[in-house]
Amino acid sequence: MSVKIETTIDAARGNDSSIPTAVIPTAVTRRGFVQMGGALFVSLALPAGFSACKKGVTTTGGGNQLDPSLLASWLEIRSDNTILARTGRAETGTGMSSYYAQAIAEELNVRPETISLILSDTDRTPDGGYSAGFLDGMANVRKVAAYTCQALLGLAATQFGLPVSSLSVVDGIVSGGGKSISYGQLVQGQHLDLKIPVTGKLAKVDASEGAGIAGLDGFVVAGDPPMKPVSQFKVMGTSYPVPGIPAKVTGKTQWSCDVNVPGMLHARMVRPATLGSTLISVGVLDKKQFPTAEIVGKGNLLAVVSPNEWEAIGAAQAVAGSTKWTEWAGLPGSENLTKTLRERQWGAPSESRGDATGMTTGLAGASKKISVSYEQPYVRHAPIGPFVAVADVRNDGNVMVWTHSSQAQGLRAQIANTLSVPMEKVVVRWLEHSGQYGRTTFGGDGAEGDAVILSKLTGKPVRVQWTLEEDMAWSSVSPGWVADLEAGLDARGRLIAVHTAEYAPHQQDCRLLGAILAGMPTCTSKPTTWVTEEWPYDKIPHVLRETHGMPNLAAESAGGGLRGNIMRTPGQRQQVFALEGLINEAAAAAKADPIQFRIEHTSEQRLIDILNATAKAAGWEPRHSPHSGARRTGTSPLTGRGVCVVFRNNAYWVGIAEVAVTPATGLVRATKFTIGADCGKIINPRQLDRCMKSGVVMGLSEALKEEVTFDKSQVTSTNWNSYKILTMAEVPEIKVVQISRDDKGFGGGSEAANAVVPQAVAAAIFDTTGVQPRRMPMKPECLTALLKGAAKA
Amino acid sequence: MASELTLSVNGAKQVVSVAPDTPLLFVLRNELKLTGPRLGCGMAQCGACSVLLDGEEIRSCVTAVSDAVGKKITTIEGLPEIWAAQKGLNAADAANALHPVQQAWIDEQVPQCGYCQSGMMIVAVELLAKNPNPTVAQIKNAFTNKPPSPHLCRCGTYVAIIDAVQRAAKTMKA
Repeated sequence: MSVKIETTIDAARGNDSSIPTAVIPTAVTRRGFVQMGGALFVSLALPAGFSACKKGVTTTGGGNQLDPSLLASWLEIRSDNTILARTGRAETGTGMSSYYAQAIAEELNVRPETISLILSDTDRTPDGGYSAGFLDGMANVRKVAAYTCQALLGLAATQFGLPVSSLSVVDGIVSGGGKSISYGQLVQGQHLDLKIPVTGKLAKVDASEGAGIAGLDGFVVAGDPPMKPVSQFKVMGTSYPVPGIPAKVTGKTQWSCDVNVPGMLHARMVRPATLGSTLISVGVLDKKQFPTAEIVGKGNLLAVVSPNEWEAIGAAQAVAGSTKWTEWAGLPGSENLTKTLRERQWGAPSESRGDATGMTTGLAGASKKISVSYEQPYVRHAPIGPFVAVADVRNDGNVMVWTHSSQAQGLRAQIANTLSVPMEKVVVRWLEHSGQYGRTTFGGDGAEGDAVILSKLTGKPVRVQWTLEEDMAWSSVSPGWVADLEAGLDARGRLIAVHTAEYAPHQQDCRLLGAILAGMPTCTSKPTTWVTEEWPYDKIPHVLRETHGMPNLAAESAGGGLRGNIMRTPGQRQQVFALEGLINEAAAAAKADPIQFRIEHTSEQRLIDILNATAKAAGWEPRHSPHSGARRTGTSPLTGRGVCVVFRNNAYWVGIAEVAVTPATGLVRATKFTIGADCGKIINPRQLDRCMKSGVVMGLSEALKEEVTFDKSQVTSTNWNSYKILTMAEVPEIKVVQISRDDKGFGGGSEAANAVVPQAVAAAIFDTTGVQPRRMPMKPECLTALLKGAAKA
Repeated sequence: MASELTLSVNGAKQVVSVAPDTPLLFVLRNELKLTGPRLGCGMAQCGACSVLLDGEEIRSCVTAVSDAVGKKITTIEGLPEIWAAQKGLNAADAANALHPVQQAWIDEQVPQCGYCQSGMMIVAVELLAKNPNPTVAQIKNAFTNKPPSPHLCRCGTYVAIIDAVQRAAKTMKA
């Protein structure tokens, strides 16, 4: 890996967020002839006023193959019939890299094996954008490929003297009129350019945005190139393997934790004694014991650095032991979370959807009313690999950062803001690492803030490796949640009105911890909570949904309090647990089968179809819950079943849980889980299958085990014994149902797989005991208390 | 203070100059550039750092390098050699060989983020050496109940791992 600082070409793209829409013709232009090779470069069409290169700037591998001073291209069609594609998105572990290759291959009519990908590096990819929003990312590269295919057909048509309409392409070979030519031959000996029209902008710190950063969508390809109809797909819809897997299983992948820059120092952080402590005095470093170690700090940011990692670890522990911090106790304690949220004066909702008057009238006219409250604890992303980052802040002001953040451009914007340097001084290179599950979606959190500050202070490249305890105590968390719900049923047992009101602390705080502790500039986000857009039950006549947000718990403290951040299926995961709980409770009140009850309240055929298909696969017998043998006592296990639905991002999800509950011990064991998804056209059935099954594992983990605990000063669940996640032995039989549709576009095929689990489990517990759990996690001690309480009542 | 220690890693002799209490993990990664094993919890709670020591899976994050002296250390980078030796492959075939566990991990598309999978493959190799035909229950037991801790995967790939262990078992018996 080169350590040369690459002055980026991004001056061309500009810090200016006001880049207007650029729509220009997409004809190929010939820049010149070359003796060796040749290629077609497909890049962004920048508007007037933005030159593609800065005079005198050189890059290493940053720009195009033949002219590195040019802007990183989307695609390069090379004379050897290979294709290089670039996207600002990262591979987050759900197989997106295969989907990108498939989409490009499909539109270009080439084999996906001929495509290699560069992901996410800010100086080597053109567009930025959310990794989580892979459908947008895929739409981008698919359109680029479609434009490129048209351009290549145009070249072939000219060469053959035939109209484009008479040509066909198979595996990158254009044929027509008895002649054929490969893409490589079409570009042989030439240096060709194709400009693609784009809209949008790159990420930039902006206080007016919810997450504090604008442009997180990056550049979006404009226009409507002719694209292949789904019915003609040859590559999309097949189980093309994920390109990075062979390197991962042979030890050849270079992970972000493997970055080793000459002269690099290893850092271990000395964190404040509590989330709100400030530094009183720095501890003692015994230079005899730790001769190469040095203490480095700024404000409340404190670290020990050494060229030797093990020495840095020992020295940091020794310094931590003698460092003095102020006392602080500004948290409520996790046992008081619900009470704290309940006592707050929330004021007006941050978002409201629906019809307040209709809802009130509907409830007033109901034959039967249900009023329930649901609670959820703080949970966390908890990757197996803690945060790690390497930064090299040079004297000339250039900044190089190696990261595993899923939003490299957003991170770049944050680092430029923290260091008060122009964006074009900062290059962020992305490498694979442990899954992030949403915590880096806005380009924040992580060790990068620590690393750039320490590198600036030491004048050397610095690698910051967080420990698990540090990650569990200091990284951002998915906030706790309370929800109050009301429903009204008519005399026939149909829902006529639903009102949901949800309350939660901040979940868009992506600030870099290092910047907070060092007292350096950070972005500023808004503590609002949103109502999930998608609503599956259009036959319920009156619906009002409201959400209320508040700042982080202990937001005003030195460390920023419990920094809330989004986590897989953000917001909707919490809303689904409550809403689907209400639907299950309403179905029970109506003595209706919970699946039939849902079917009666929707006219969406896709939802009805996936409900029926999943029910069939699960062997679901229509009846109402609880089952006739349900009981709240006894030492033998009882089995039951429950259902949950999620509608998200053009995808319909159904989860059917079967559990065994032992009332005397409160132990819940998932015995079988059937998960169904209709996410439009399935891009890669095997990867979808893997994501569905692994999503069930994460969902069961959240349902049964996960809770961030904290006392008044700090997080107390800081290792795998105190923050438990599901183990292999606890995984039930998992059945998968997929419906692929050619006429509904593409939908999100991974994210919601966890969210469909917890309420299905809760409903299954209700089915076995007659008592509905309304709080996660459904741990044995919580369930026994619930069952005893219900027995008394 | 640093000492010269001689290690046997993936069939080769390696001399390192490190403090003897340095965890084996840091020696493998920083001195020998074997980055297959990775730092997870640093306290033997997750298994991301697992390697084989004389064929037994150990957590290299809590094993002092001095305790590995005189024993055979195997990381995922060394799995192909183990298989080649076991099958008596010639040098040319051995150079291209993958251990059946690695091949199964590819064929079953096991890794999502993949961070924990090095340790998972180490457990699989250890299990299949002792039990060439494990049941699902035995696989679950090996990955969960063997001290010092369960092997954890946050992406939730456990089902894929079970599929891959069963596939590797078939290949190895063939």
